[in-house]
Amino acid sequence: MADQVMTAEVSTRASATFEPRIIGFLCYWCSYTGADMAGTARMKYPPNIDIVRLMCSGRIDPELVATAFAKGADGVLVCGCHIGDCHYMVGNHKTMVRIPLLQRVLREMGIEPERFRLEWISAAEGARFQKLVREMTEQVRQLGPLNWPGLMRSRGVGHGMDLKPWGEV
Amino acid sequence: MQGNGSAGVSGNGDGAGGDLRIGVFICHCGGNISDVVDVKRVAARIRKLPGVVFSDTNNFMCADPAQAMIEEKIKELNLNRVIVAACSPTLHALTFRRTLERAGLNQFLFEHVNIREQVSWVVEDPEAATRKAERLIRAAVKRIEHLAPLDKRRISVHRSALVIGAGVAGLVAARDLAKCGMKVDLVERSPFIGGRMAQLGKVFPTGEDARPLLSKLMQEVVHDPNITIFTNTEVLSSVGIVGDFRTKVRTTPRGVDARLTYVGNAIAACPEETISEFNYGLTKRKAIYMPHPNCYPQMPAIDWGTCTKCGKCLTSVGGKGIDLNDEPRESELHSGVIILATGYDPYEPLYGEYGYEVFPEVITLQQLWRMLDWEGPTGGQIQRGGKPIKNIAIIHCAGARQYQGVSMPQPDGKVKDYCARTCCTAALHASLEVKERWPEINIYDLYQDIRTYGRGHEDYYKHASEAGVTFLRFDGHDLPKVEKDLRGEAPLVVKVIDQLTNGREIEVPADLLVLATGVVPHDISELIDMYKCAIGYDSFLLEVHPKLRPVELAVTGVFIAGSCQGPMDITECTAAAAAAASKAAAMIAHGQVEMDPFIAQVDEELCTGCRTCLVVCPYDAISRDESRGIAVISTAACTGCGTCAATCPSNAIVQLGFQDDQVLAELNALLDREAAAVL
Repeated sequence: MADQVMTAEVSTRASATFEPRIIGFLCYWCSYTGADMAGTARMKYPPNIDIVRLMCSGRIDPELVATAFAKGADGVLVCGCHIGDCHYMVGNHKTMVRIPLLQRVLREMGIEPERFRLEWISAAEGARFQKLVREMTEQVRQLGPLNWPGLMRSRGVGHGMDLKPWGEV
Repeated sequence: MQGNGSAGVSGNGDGAGGDLRIGVFICHCGGNISDVVDVKRVAARIRKLPGVVFSDTNNFMCADPAQAMIEEKIKELNLNRVIVAACSPTLHALTFRRTLERAGLNQFLFEHVNIREQVSWVVEDPEAATRKAERLIRAAVKRIEHLAPLDKRRISVHRSALVIGAGVAGLVAARDLAKCGMKVDLVERSPFIGGRMAQLGKVFPTGEDARPLLSKLMQEVVHDPNITIFTNTEVLSSVGIVGDFRTKVRTTPRGVDARLTYVGNAIAACPEETISEFNYGLTKRKAIYMPHPNCYPQMPAIDWGTCTKCGKCLTSVGGKGIDLNDEPRESELHSGVIILATGYDPYEPLYGEYGYEVFPEVITLQQLWRMLDWEGPTGGQIQRGGKPIKNIAIIHCAGARQYQGVSMPQPDGKVKDYCARTCCTAALHASLEVKERWPEINIYDLYQDIRTYGRGHEDYYKHASEAGVTFLRFDGHDLPKVEKDLRGEAPLVVKVIDQLTNGREIEVPADLLVLATGVVPHDISELIDMYKCAIGYDSFLLEVHPKLRPVELAVTGVFIAGSCQGPMDITECTAAAAAAASKAAAMIAHGQVEMDPFIAQVDEELCTGCRTCLVVCPYDAISRDESRGIAVISTAACTGCGTCAATCPSNAIVQLGFQDDQVLAELNALLDREAAAVL
């Protein structure tokens, strides 16, 4: 029910000139190198994604993702090594468990699933990364701006995502 | 596990505190960046940010003159933070960290911004690319405020090595390490050293006899005072970190000691028999046995799984030199580095695969080599079923390069889809050997592709063709079929759709069918858990990087040598073992190792001792100090993945270099719409 209301609201927010802001949290060993691979092969993708480099996707604290949305990201992408390829053996196993749970929570809070994706990108999968960023940018563009803090306020939820100590950096 | 090293926030204070003095250096990369990104505009705008005292561009920032310029600017302007915006940090972060170090600045007060691979090469529109580059550098300026100087971790090490597995790779690794002056413990699970090489008669590409070669190597190892050999010994557990591994091993008694003189009598007296692994099941052996006359140690061993302790061997030698009631001994080995040289097993065909175990005429290439061995079970004669051998068929890729849905799946549901690399040359070598001894025997070689890739290997292919071996090529999707020959010409007939004659079905008579079987890793699941080894899709051990770190595992101080890493011939095994030995020796030669400082640290004030981090750490690097009720992270065992930092419910763990405040500052700057609006 909440989802339906939200979708209706979202469609009115979409605009032709809207350029989504997407944050990509990438592990250093596979996904970041995979993104580099896209560059080395001169594979073009939209400039909307800004990559934040971490050593392992296991480092991606759910609060980092929530903060990204709270600070105005329209989409968040989390990428790690394929299961079995983690440089730290099982760091991505934690991600695999943690992120879907967070996806559910964020969905309950009105964030469409297309805005928050978890994908495994190997160091060789430049083409996959390109495709993923293109696809996600387009999907988020269709959904329109998120404006999560404002949305939460207008719906009377919380008080504008007060994320102390996270909010004040 | 407590670390013996030191790491963390540097105490020398260079750059910490006081005013921020950030230098930003933006690279053109000879046009690779500047053709798309307006680097001059970016530099000018970044210059206006608070804290930035210098911001400029250079054609090649990684070139020596540009690095000298960075050094000069650091000194001249008293910079205490440096940002380089250039290619990917995977390429040059280290280069610039060293530049900082040379200028007397802590190398971790550095941010590398990737504006080539992740901006100029992927963004088409120059305006959008310029904005993105500026946004990323702006975020780095905000992030770099939060950096603190860090020290590399320095860990003192025990200058000794443990080599697990005493096959040809383990022997070479042990020999080479010992020559560097290291104490080496060489541990072998079976009662005899030498591994699988002793089972081969001749070896390619030189055609030399395997055992004399191996003996030469074994003599070097046995007589080296730096090497201690433990046979019949298995690894039970291992704790510790590079420089300080403590490995518990259990040595099963061999039941025989040097006082045993009448070896033959003892073996003859034994009534218990089992199949001989050494001869790949072609013969039987006694419970007290020697695999071959030149084995080492030069004394028999008792196989306790077969022995019934009847005591007949004991009486036959007058009670001297045999002890049936000896107990296993456990000991602890202390070493700075570990080399895994656990080897391979030949692929064992499934029941019915190409008629294996259904027809007695079907054997493996390993068995054929045992038969060809003059000292082997048949004295160098090829025998099967009592009839003279006129036609031999060889099928390549048995247990290699298989296709899902075509070949019979293994117990794990998968097929062996990788190339086993060594079997092509080994099969051709065997064909030639047969042709040389018995030119009248017809050999039919059924292959997918001939892969004689090594130096001198191709000659075997050429010579086999010249010697009259008939080659037939099958498609891996359409495997040859083995049937009983009803016409009675030969016991078996192999039907193959031959690609060389445009897919004609050809029937090959076979008195003997030899399966050129692939290679699978030796079962070392316990070691894999113990040393947290990464495993490739083919189940062999996986190196950190195939080109840059080809013999290292992710756990610092653990190396791999030989065919535990993948199918290799002896030449490749010994090269890999020598590489592993020199890498291992280099790591501990100075008595200490240096590692990056991006590890996790516990804030003792915030930690509640809840143990959550202990559970998620992949390396058991965290323990709980029970007296203080807090988590303690071993600085040496931590590999810096940051999973604990993400997990800690009290935010009591930080990952140095990737602290929350650093990442959040970056996020804030990236998402700063007001700044973005004026970009």
